[in-house]
Amino acid sequence: MATKTSDNPIAPVGESVTRLDARAKVTGSATYADDFQFGPILLHARAVRSPHPMALIKKVDTSEAEAMPGVKGIVTGKDFDGMLGLYLTDRYILCRDRVRYVGDPVAVVAAETVEIAEEAVKKIKVEYEVLPPVLDPEEGIKPGATVVHPDLGNYAYPNFIFPEAGTNIANRFKVRKGDVDEGFKKCAAIVERKYKVPHIQHVPIEPHVSVAKWDEDGHITLWTSSQSPFAQRNLIAKALHVSQGSVEVIAPYVGGGFGAKAGVSMESLAVVVSSKTKGRPVKLVLTREEEFHAAFCRQGLVAHYKMGCDKDGNLIAVDNKYYWDAGAYTEYGVNITRASGYSSTGPYRVPNVRVDSVCVYTNHPVGGPMRGFGMPEIHVGLEQCVDDLAHEIGMDPYEFRKKNCVKDGDIIVTGMKMHPTGLSKCIDEVAKAIDWGKKEQPTGPNKRRGKGMAIMWKAPAMPPNPGSSAEVKFNEDGTVDVAIGGQELGQGTFTVMAQMVASALGIPYEWVRISTPIDTKFSPYEWQTVASRLTWSMGNAVRLAALDARKQIIDLVSKAWNEDPDNLDIRNGVVVSYKTEETLPLKDIVIYGIPKENYNGWMGGPVVGRGSFMPTYVTGLDKDTGQGERAVVHYTTGCQAVDLEVDLETGKLDIIKAVSAFDVGKAINPEMVKGQMEGGFVMGMSTGYFEAMRLKGGVMQNPSFVDYRIATSTDIPLKVESIIVEVAQDDGPWGARGIGEHSMVPTVPAIANAIYDAIKIRVGDPPFSAEKVYLAMMDAGIVK
Amino acid sequence: MNNSHPALPEFDYLTPTSLMEASQFLAGHPSDARAFMGGTDCFVRMRDGLLPMKTMVDVKPLDGMNEIRFDSAKGLTIGAAVPMNAVAKHPEIRKNYPLLAQAAETVASYQLRSRATICGNICNASPAGDTIGASLVMNGVLTVHGVGGFRQEPLSKFFLGPGKTVLIPGDIVTAINFPILPAKSAGKYRKLGRNTLSDLSIVGVTVFGFPDKDTASGFRFKLALASVAPVPFVPVKAEEILAGSTISAESIKSASEAAMDSVTPIDDIRGSARYRKLMVRNLVNDTVTEVWKQLIG
Amino acid sequence: MAYHRIVLTVNGTKEQVDVPSNMTLLRMLREKLALTGTKNGCAAGECGACTVMMNGEPVNSCMVLAAECDGAEIVTVEGLATDRQLDPIQTMMMETGGVQCGFCTPGILITARALLDRNPNPSEAEIREALVGNLCRCTGYFRIIDAVKKAAHAEAR
Repeated sequence: MATKTSDNPIAPVGESVTRLDARAKVTGSATYADDFQFGPILLHARAVRSPHPMALIKKVDTSEAEAMPGVKGIVTGKDFDGMLGLYLTDRYILCRDRVRYVGDPVAVVAAETVEIAEEAVKKIKVEYEVLPPVLDPEEGIKPGATVVHPDLGNYAYPNFIFPEAGTNIANRFKVRKGDVDEGFKKCAAIVERKYKVPHIQHVPIEPHVSVAKWDEDGHITLWTSSQSPFAQRNLIAKALHVSQGSVEVIAPYVGGGFGAKAGVSMESLAVVVSSKTKGRPVKLVLTREEEFHAAFCRQGLVAHYKMGCDKDGNLIAVDNKYYWDAGAYTEYGVNITRASGYSSTGPYRVPNVRVDSVCVYTNHPVGGPMRGFGMPEIHVGLEQCVDDLAHEIGMDPYEFRKKNCVKDGDIIVTGMKMHPTGLSKCIDEVAKAIDWGKKEQPTGPNKRRGKGMAIMWKAPAMPPNPGSSAEVKFNEDGTVDVAIGGQELGQGTFTVMAQMVASALGIPYEWVRISTPIDTKFSPYEWQTVASRLTWSMGNAVRLAALDARKQIIDLVSKAWNEDPDNLDIRNGVVVSYKTEETLPLKDIVIYGIPKENYNGWMGGPVVGRGSFMPTYVTGLDKDTGQGERAVVHYTTGCQAVDLEVDLETGKLDIIKAVSAFDVGKAINPEMVKGQMEGGFVMGMSTGYFEAMRLKGGVMQNPSFVDYRIATSTDIPLKVESIIVEVAQDDGPWGARGIGEHSMVPTVPAIANAIYDAIKIRVGDPPFSAEKVYLAMMDAGIVK
Repeated sequence: MNNSHPALPEFDYLTPTSLMEASQFLAGHPSDARAFMGGTDCFVRMRDGLLPMKTMVDVKPLDGMNEIRFDSAKGLTIGAAVPMNAVAKHPEIRKNYPLLAQAAETVASYQLRSRATICGNICNASPAGDTIGASLVMNGVLTVHGVGGFRQEPLSKFFLGPGKTVLIPGDIVTAINFPILPAKSAGKYRKLGRNTLSDLSIVGVTVFGFPDKDTASGFRFKLALASVAPVPFVPVKAEEILAGSTISAESIKSASEAAMDSVTPIDDIRGSARYRKLMVRNLVNDTVTEVWKQLIG
Repeated sequence: MAYHRIVLTVNGTKEQVDVPSNMTLLRMLREKLALTGTKNGCAAGECGACTVMMNGEPVNSCMVLAAECDGAEIVTVEGLATDRQLDPIQTMMMETGGVQCGFCTPGILITARALLDRNPNPSEAEIREALVGNLCRCTGYFRIIDAVKKAAHAEAR
């Protein structure tokens, strides 16, 4: 944790300090959820999971398993009638009368060893009555399809979600703006396309892990790899009909989340089985195979695009339909549908919009909040259609995007006014860095080379009132412990918060520690670590907490020195008077206060700074038109381009150079921001090259690394360039907004557009496997 | 539905002190005891519930398993327990059998190659086995110890089907032997996976060529194809074309097409039959051309 | 199921452990020796998060039986630093930003250390190839590769 202090009053905000958790991680001493030591008291759990995509449960017989030596507790759905759901409450903790996807949990066993638990699972007999599954969202909305949730009409949901009882439609977001039919009449070019984006998986390298303990006095403790300790506490408490105060979630470092560890998925399974083990903690770890098929996935999308522009390249009308293959439970996924609806045009100014974004129940794995939250999926088609429109009217796709991209003050798809954004600058920077317009020579006779670009936008997708809070407290030596409820997933949140506290307080970065693990009993509330919201939202809370502490200190010293507080400052951990040049180190006062003159009493005492932030300006959107004053808090925008080659012998793709530019408002830690751009690019590239959950009859055919391939060190481009653009966010700390998700949003269409530039054909839906590219070239006569 | 377990199932780990003890134990427990080397194939299958074994017999420390012997008259012997990394970096192998070193280096990852072995790769008998092609084209012969003692098994007759070989219970492969290669030979293993490196092959092409005055072309090419048939596949017709007339771009093209026509791969999760056939054609063409260029210097 | 008493050296320290036949080296390190730095990512030899040094070579410890390790010399991430002095590969990984969530990091450090031990001046291609068995989902690998280059450079001096 090397680093420097600076006389620059805003430092270390804006400096690329070394991460404060780096040393713990490189020495292997960082604690993750599977590393907690419990000793012999710990039990191990395994779940019984449905082998069918859709079936009624006729009977569950646990008697043989109960009799096994070493088995300490078994729970089934009949033991728990509460339901879980972040937005739409549609999921029992354990299936009660039916199963809805392959992997749906029916029972959980706790035993002395994981081997005994595994044996016990085999001995639990479940009788199913198999029903015809829904395996396609467009089929699922047709009359006569199996209704996956017959009780949809009874589920609780917030007022911005619109389930259609009696159907498989869990939510529908409509945009009706202007007049698309009239608009298309004015178009010189119209493209109509259909894209199917397959289900993919988050693939954090750390699997899900939860340890749950249910004490005899009713207190529940959950140690878990979690992005959402408070949301998990809330949802589990509600489902168990207990007070949130009696559930304590303890969340250490997370070995990768990407959304998989947000909301509640497997955590509740550990909790419920621990109800039977008389206070002994129970650990549940998902195997990698379960990670692939039984954890939150990214839902599939069937998207129909119809987009048109006039002869000058102005986008006139967009008429899109997004059918989300949202899986067996849509408690989280309903909001993906909504977010994709209110951002459905992509980052463009379009006067006429008709969009239906429909969340459809299917008997597929459960769609959850994967990085991008609907944006990568819809941009696959959006950005290819934009390129196609540009080609049709003979316009450079770069010019087309410059012309139509959202700018400050534009009215966007929901009627909201766009705030200042650096999107145009991102496009220009990327075009320059990739040498747009220059046709590069292929590196060999069997290669074709091309460049492609894509732009994006994304707003944090949240309820309208997600809160952050923070506390700053001091130690005797002036160092600070910052209590927050947001999680370090690798994205660098702890470091950035420490930088903000150091800057706002006026103390060295090395003096700041972040209190980890997050513990909902001691840590201040944070909605969730999702949506790329922490730098902005929790950053605001942390900054306010630091400023609150600073004010207490300044006020105290101004009283002690009888000076105007405006003449005082804290620099490098020392209170200074600009007037008298007197100094007072923080360590002398932040716990002990200041003695009055001649020690005739004392002033002050332990300083604790508090801060809280919640956006107050998000409005609702009309149910039928999707219009409203302020749909979202803000948008992060950006652009990516790739220079790649297609191998004519094999169809393989090789990216020679990749360029990203994103408007992050203010880069609190520039190298870490670039790290997000690089990592997101590679994750996006991986989904573009390799990734798909191959679902056949609802069963995932490739639930392991053997056949679910992700990018390795040998697949990445030779050169990558990451450019930071900063157009301040008006209510962001130092102007900052998020970047964590955005860097994987434009990647797949940028690759698709580059392929098109290289070989002049579209190769179909992602992933663009070598086989897909090669056979497309063969069918088009490019190779024989 | 996938049934992978979090941990390896229960079994006993046995360390026999002699080959005969090992062979006799294995022959006496034909359905639930198995010899293992690096374990990189069988542990995965055991976790998946596909290989229920009561006893895993560690034969790695036994006689001859760990040596590499090269004799310029007799050839090369590699003990069955020698990890692939050791094979790939051995100076005599790199110098005299470079195709074997190169093929070994395409397997999985460096970590797995610290444990995986060539003989294990061969006995696993997956049609995708990366070192099988090289071993075949260089006329590898296995030394096998069974209840009846030692014998030799030529690779050309070794494979019966996916995962099936001529070995019977009690058999332990102790070494693989390669004769001295023809002078001025050259070879290449070209592997097409999904990732740039490390994947299982969608198609694997092994080409080994050398001057041969007994053929019309003056050269003999030995080919082996991975992942296109139930066993490692030798495209005989393609070999005949390359032997039968002067080598040229046209004859190589013709041989490649014959190779393509001779394989009947399946559609599976890694690739379709159509793509595999086309890749056989393209990669045979490319690899034979590359080896040919090396041969004519 | 049989138990085996093994005696081995782990991070320079002699250890004696009784292990069941089916216990992997990974589980032994984590559960019997409390060395939780080495991670379980897939239990199938694919992700590399469990990489440790065994007799000088990196192995996937989830694919090695503890019972096979009698007499072995094992080095885990906890053994890279000496007396709190970090190995150059650790220092550089911190400096370049090659650590994000940190879960792949222990395995990567071992693989990288082994690479530099056998090839003190690796090319970019050699580094990429050596790391192919260590999956990272966070960083995109660029800064990891950079860290290896910088460590090689630092050690050359």
